[in-house]
Amino acid sequence: MFYRKLFLMLASFLLVFAFSFTAYAENVIKLGSAISFTGAKSRTGKLYVDSYKFAVNKVNEMGGVNVNGKNYKFELVFYDDKSEPTESARLVEKLITVDKVDFLLGPYSSGITIPNSIVARRYRIPMIEGGGASSKIFDKGNKYIFGTLPRAGDYFRSTLEFLTKQNPTPKKIAILYADDKFDVSVGEGAKAAAEEMGFDVVVYEKYSEGASDFTSAITKAKDAGAEATLVAGHTEEAINFVQQSKELDYSPNLLGLTVGPSEADFRKALGKDANYIYGVASWSTEMNFEGYLFEDTQTFVKKFTDKFGYDPDYHNAAGIAAIAVYKDAIERAGSLDPQKIRDAIAETSGLKTIYGPVDFMDNGQIIGSSVVLQILDGKVRQVYPASGYDAVYPMPEWDNR
Amino acid sequence: MLTQILINGILKGGLYALMAMGMSLIWGVMNIINIAHGSFIMLGAYTTYWFFTLYGMDPFVSVLLSMALIFFLGFFIQKYIINFVIGASLFITLLLAFGIEILINNLALLFWTADVRSVQVTYGGANIEILGAVIPTVRLFAFLLAIAVSVILFIIMNKTWLGRAIRSTAQDLEAARLNGVNVGKIYSITFGIGTAVAAAAGTLWAVIFPISPTMGGHLTLKSFVVTIIGGLGTMMGPLVGGLSLGIVESLGTNWFGSTFENLISFTILVLVLIFKPNGILGKKE
Repeated sequence: MFYRKLFLMLASFLLVFAFSFTAYAENVIKLGSAISFTGAKSRTGKLYVDSYKFAVNKVNEMGGVNVNGKNYKFELVFYDDKSEPTESARLVEKLITVDKVDFLLGPYSSGITIPNSIVARRYRIPMIEGGGASSKIFDKGNKYIFGTLPRAGDYFRSTLEFLTKQNPTPKKIAILYADDKFDVSVGEGAKAAAEEMGFDVVVYEKYSEGASDFTSAITKAKDAGAEATLVAGHTEEAINFVQQSKELDYSPNLLGLTVGPSEADFRKALGKDANYIYGVASWSTEMNFEGYLFEDTQTFVKKFTDKFGYDPDYHNAAGIAAIAVYKDAIERAGSLDPQKIRDAIAETSGLKTIYGPVDFMDNGQIIGSSVVLQILDGKVRQVYPASGYDAVYPMPEWDNR
Repeated sequence: MLTQILINGILKGGLYALMAMGMSLIWGVMNIINIAHGSFIMLGAYTTYWFFTLYGMDPFVSVLLSMALIFFLGFFIQKYIINFVIGASLFITLLLAFGIEILINNLALLFWTADVRSVQVTYGGANIEILGAVIPTVRLFAFLLAIAVSVILFIIMNKTWLGRAIRSTAQDLEAARLNGVNVGKIYSITFGIGTAVAAAAGTLWAVIFPISPTMGGHLTLKSFVVTIIGGLGTMMGPLVGGLSLGIVESLGTNWFGSTFENLISFTILVLVLIFKPNGILGKKE
């Protein structure tokens, strides 16, 4: 008994020493994030976790971050926020006060990013996030939040532009959106853009987040003769909407969704019914940008797929960009002072990343646009702006997919 | 268009009815508000998914297996867990059911991850067109199955010894005991039947909607509303409650917009509680 106690005591001493040893052995910059490992947001949350890890490994392999001639390694500290905003905000506070992280990385989803960004501002620690695009994050005058997803209101702009180029040009459009922060921004933006481009918005409706029954909305859109239907929601809702459109035999010329088409779950769940569905994204694997961490988009896609066994999507790329911006900003600032880093991030100019060149607007959100995707033969392809894959428009009837 | 909206509502209502049936039974007999009800629906949906994905079994066949499996799960949960606190206040059983819900959901998240899955039957998107209205085939099947299960349950409750034992236990515990009813066992069987019916609802849910481990909470709420609207203590209650809710929701979301679906459900709930506190079919106490 005595020996066991002695052993435990020694072991714990050793452990403490081991930890303090690694902590002091090299200079580290701690990046912290409270993100969803479990719960409803965990599927997409995982994409960010994978990306953050992948990019941080790459930075460290390259020798780390050079601060005034001294090399620092990035170290990630994660907590599971269980997909709950209040829990997430609490954990961000813990990251700052207990774990003493230097800088913050964002969680996933706009609803969770909002409270987190407020904590970041309270402690004046910069946060770069790739998981929230709602204008509600950026219109509060918060100087410490930076986002790598483009304005939610612009998500469907490219799709609408694509529609104006079709012959015959559709007239009637239905817009449906979930009532969470992000999708409300998408829906409102889409309506404004559609009207500006001369479309007739015949159905414009909000539904409660997590709704499973769209039969009423679909019946309405069908009845109003909407030629194109745009839905801003989440994976489950997107699957429901497609399934029920088929059940009710509603086949618009274009069915465009925000979240869904670029996710593997969506394609797996719907099988061949997923074909020809349109999507939007801030990034696609068909793009080619030179990056300073990874050579270019194609090299990144290959390396990433080899390591994780799935194709990266725009969430992944937005996460990579967050780390790239930190490395660049810290090196330019030549300091670890949060205030100086914040200013350096704001001054980021044309930074070359595999996600595309990064510049931020005054409110902290990236200057970017979205591309139109379409599922062709079970693969997500960029169809507008042209990338070598021809869009199939109008979408064929359900029986011919 | 109105016919279409009504058809949508009736078909949805059938599913609501089946969902609520198990909850209503357990509540009526044991006075337990089974917060974990939605989790059992989720388990039913997942067993269906696995039977379909691993063995290629048609959901309308495997529904019997799912029901049997979940019956035993429910039976043992009641026998070894809930029966110990059955005499305690409503609050204790509520808390316990809440715990069971958290446990089941998190185990499901652990083993099956949060991935959204769906059962892709070949007749998935098929539909029949009658007088300009489209009737989705799977929903029609689901509706018919819901009716069938209700009828079977009705027969069991009214024509068999077991049913009479369950009803007598619900009416007068002491008298049932005096007449040789093993109350503990009846409770376990009732809970088992309740969860088995929930599993059947889960099967239908999986055929119509995508499923995920966290789908249950929302369904518990819907079942709760349907149970209250229909009224406790009668087998027809959930059917009436489900159909009314389905139709009103369909009409309501059509007139006022989809975002008000929950507002509509709960407004009906409040109205029923004010004007018919025991539900549409509920008996006076």
